[in-house]
Parts: sequence; structure tokens; C-alpha cells
Amino acid sequence: MEYVNPEGLRLDGRRPMEMRQLHAEIGVVSKADGSAVFEMGNTKVIAAVYGPREVQNRSRQMNDQALVRCEYNMANFSTGDRMRKPKGDRRSTEISLVIRQTMEACILTHLMPRSQIDIFVQVLQADGGTRSACINAATLALADAGIPMRDLVTSCSAGFLNGTPLLDLNYVEDSAGGPDVTVGILPKLDKVTLLQMDAKLAMDTFENVTQLATEGCKAVATDIREILLEHTKQLEFRRGL
Amino acid sequence: MAKKAFINSAQCLRTLHCYAHTICILLFFHFCLVEAMVGLSLGEKSFIKGGIAQDLRTDGRKRLTYRPIYVETGVIPQASGSARVKLGATDVIASVKAELGRPNPSDPDKGKVSIFVDCSPTAEPTFEGRGGDELSTELSAALQRCLLGGKSGAGAGIDLSSLSIVKGKVCWDLYIDGLVVSSDGNVLDALGAAIKAALSNTAIPKVNVAAQASPDEQPEVDVSDEEFLQFDTSGVPVGKHYIVDATSEEESQMSSAISVSINRQGRICGLTKRGGAGLDPSVLLDMISVSKHVSEQLYNKLDTEIAAAEACDEEE
Repeated sequence: MEYVNPEGLRLDGRRPMEMRQLHAEIGVVSKADGSAVFEMGNTKVIAAVYGPREVQNRSRQMNDQALVRCEYNMANFSTGDRMRKPKGDRRSTEISLVIRQTMEACILTHLMPRSQIDIFVQVLQADGGTRSACINAATLALADAGIPMRDLVTSCSAGFLNGTPLLDLNYVEDSAGGPDVTVGILPKLDKVTLLQMDAKLAMDTFENVTQLATEGCKAVATDIREILLEHTKQLEFRRGL
Repeated sequence: MAKKAFINSAQCLRTLHCYAHTICILLFFHFCLVEAMVGLSLGEKSFIKGGIAQDLRTDGRKRLTYRPIYVETGVIPQASGSARVKLGATDVIASVKAELGRPNPSDPDKGKVSIFVDCSPTAEPTFEGRGGDELSTELSAALQRCLLGGKSGAGAGIDLSSLSIVKGKVCWDLYIDGLVVSSDGNVLDALGAAIKAALSNTAIPKVNVAAQASPDEQPEVDVSDEEFLQFDTSGVPVGKHYIVDATSEEESQMSSAISVSINRQGRICGLTKRGGAGLDPSVLLDMISVSKHVSEQLYNKLDTEIAAAEACDEEE
């Protein structure tokens, strides 16, 4: 199957190095301490952050840092075929773990000992790259909640099909069986916090694809910064400053 | 002793394109006994009760006023129909998916409908893992009772026989999924409204049955003719007064609730009483008449909202 046609366009009309349209909104769940909706093309996720608050399970309380918990859920209607069991399956557990570890690396947990931070991510529409969209949404939600972080965490995926590295795969390209590299970085500090890949790649191709994904992450970071700035200006305006 | 009763009237909204004669309004009186979800002090509690007694609630509403409802249709492109409803801070999404399936042997000329509600942990931290299962089952069961009527299918909000394609062999299976994204009281009403809006937004392809056994499909946009209308209004009686559409703070003060389904003609389709506190029968009848009254206004409001949402959708 041809994923990149001879003119260099992908199935959805994008160029190989082009990301999907990004769109984000902050403060959608008013009850949560922080929340955000993040869209990457047709992939749409909601993240809500509750915390820092008292630890619910005393045995897990840590005296020198905050406990970060995360749960990833997909809605029944998020994928093309209706999912029967939205919660508790292995993939969701794995992604919850991945998101938790990524966010824990950037939250300044030592500033909030004996407390707990809950990050809940709900996928409303899945069209490839849900992991990345969730991490980006979680970053925005944590910023909305005012939780101190070392840096933003942004994530993007890239793959290799028909001999070309492709940025930001959608579901069709993802299920093509080619490699899928997901990268999460701290943009200002220029550090990698998440790196996952499936299928196989030659070493030098791997470097190219990872580089492409990192570029994608940096582009997402610029967007996220703009969105946060815009949101803060609105808050300022509402407070009459 | 103040008797607290919550009346949620679910009003059924008629789908715009339905050509059915009867409109079934389901009034749901939703009651939820919330344990310490909202930590209210004694002062706050008495403030809420006092306000209700004087017909002035904490957000400025009257006892029988609904919060502004905001409806958006077509939010899930890969579903056959979908809608998102915001009732104050309560935010729910409903999606309808139609698939081909075999009818039940006991009802060969009827389609199948299944309703499933999922409470996302984004709404409440307590919903994580299996925490939201109890509320999900409760909501699913309540909506099922409301929409699908009794075992024989009589009095159902949705006309199941319209979903049949080939008697005994092929029929439409409708999967209605609700997702609670944010909850601030009166989730059942919001779900009812969302399901109604989603059904009115549903387009089921027209099926042409070829001479052989296998059906061909022509993707003609055929709007579903569901006539289900549902509306929940929460009534919380404090003393002798009832409140409609409670926020989660007010809900946490409830000791009992009643869900009433009323169809457009003002007939009661279903009634559920929940909670431990006993209710005087006269209070019950009073609440039902209140719900009838409120349901009419709600009905019209929802109808206009859905029409506006669909018009918006078509423009795009």
C-alpha cells in the first residue's frame, strides 16, 4: 500500500515532515484543579489534574515528595470499532504507567511532600498518536493547576514508511506495520524523558526518525507556550489588571 | 423535620425529524446520595437550605429554574450520531453507533438497543479504576428503563420495530454510549438530553436488500426516527419546597430523590424513588405535578437548542 504517493503527499494530504493541526483549550473541567483538551488532527484527549491534595492511601504516602498517579482511559466511541471494555486492559495500564513516569520526571515533587497529584486522561477520539496527545494535554493541565514543573513536557511520534521518515502518524499509517517512534522531551532543557519504538529500524534511519520526532516535539512546545501565554493574558484581563 | 425530596424530571426531547405520533418524555428524578464528596460546613448547609426556602439558591436561580443548557451535535465524527451537552458545569457526551446484527429470536421484527454509560475519572477523582462502576451501572439502568420500556418493549421511547431490516435475519443494533466528563449535579438529566440530541443527529444508512440473502447498503443519509425524549430535572425538596436541577453541593444535601419519566403528552412513563428517607404520598403527587410543569418549559428549551445546534452543524 502506498503511504507516500510519488508527488510526496501522504494519505491525508500532508507532506512527510508536516504535523497535524494542533488545537488546545485550557480549563474545560471546572471542578478539577487543572484541565485541558488537546487535539492533534482527529485525535482528541481531555486531561484533568487533581492535586496537590491529601494522600488517599496512607500506606503510599511519601514523606519527602509528592505521589504522582495517572490513569489513561479510552472512551467507548473513541475508535472506529466500538470498544467493549474501556477500562483496565493491558494497553491502558501500560500507557498510564508511561505517562506517569514522564510527568513525574518533570514535576518538582520535593516541593510537595506527603501529598498526591492525580492526572486523569480521557481519550475522546483516537486517530494515532494518543500517547503524545495525552502527554501534551497533561502538561497543559498541570500548568493550569499551577503545579511547579522543571519544564514543559511535549511529545510527538514519527515513523518510517515507503523509505521516508514521516512525522506525526495517524491511525492508518500507524497500523501499517512500520516502525513507530514516540519521543517526549523537555524542550528548554533539551532532555529526552520518553523514548519508545516498535518494529525494527536500521541504526542510522533510527537517528533520522528520532531527530524528526524531536523537531516535532519542539514545534509542539512553541505552540503550547503560545497557548499558555494567551490563557494567562485572558486571566489577567478578567482580573482587571 | 424537613423532608428532603429531590425531583428530577427528565424531559424527553422529540427528535426533529421524527414522524411518530407520540412523544415520550422521560422525566427523571435523579437522586444521588453523595457521601462527603463536597465537604460543606454547617454554615454552608444552612445557607443552602435557607436560600431554598426563600426561593433563592446559591447561584441565584429560583427553585424551579434550570441552568442554561448548551448543546453541540456531531462532536464524534466516526459515530453515527453524537452530541455534547453542558448543563452548568456538568458536561456529558453521548454517541450512537449503528451496526448490523441479528435480532433476538423472541422479537424477530425488532432491532436492538443497548445503553452504556461510563463515568470518566476526569469528573471525580473517586471514579478512577473501578470507582465509577456503581454510578455508571445506576445511570445505565435508569436510562435503559426510560428508553426501552418494559420487557415486552411496550411504551418504549425508541420504536424498535423501525430498526428491523429483514424480519428474523438482519436488524440494526444501536449502541448508545454516554461519557460523563465533568459532573456538577444532575448528571442524569444531562445524559438524557445528550442521548436525545445524539439520536436526533443520527443518520442510519438506508439498506437495500438484494434478492439473495446478503443486503447491500446504500449510504443514504436517513435520519433516525427516534421519538425518545428524556429530561431529568432534579428536584430537591427542602422543607416543603422542591428544587429542580441541583448542583452537586445541593445534591449532597439530598436524602432522597425521585426520577420521573414523563412523555410529551404529560403521561408518566416511569418512576423511581431512591434514597432512605420516607416520603409522604401527597408530597410525591405534588412533585409529579411540579415535574410536569417544569418539563414543558424544558422540553421547548431543549428543542430549540438542538435545532440551533443542528443548524450550526449544517452550515459547516
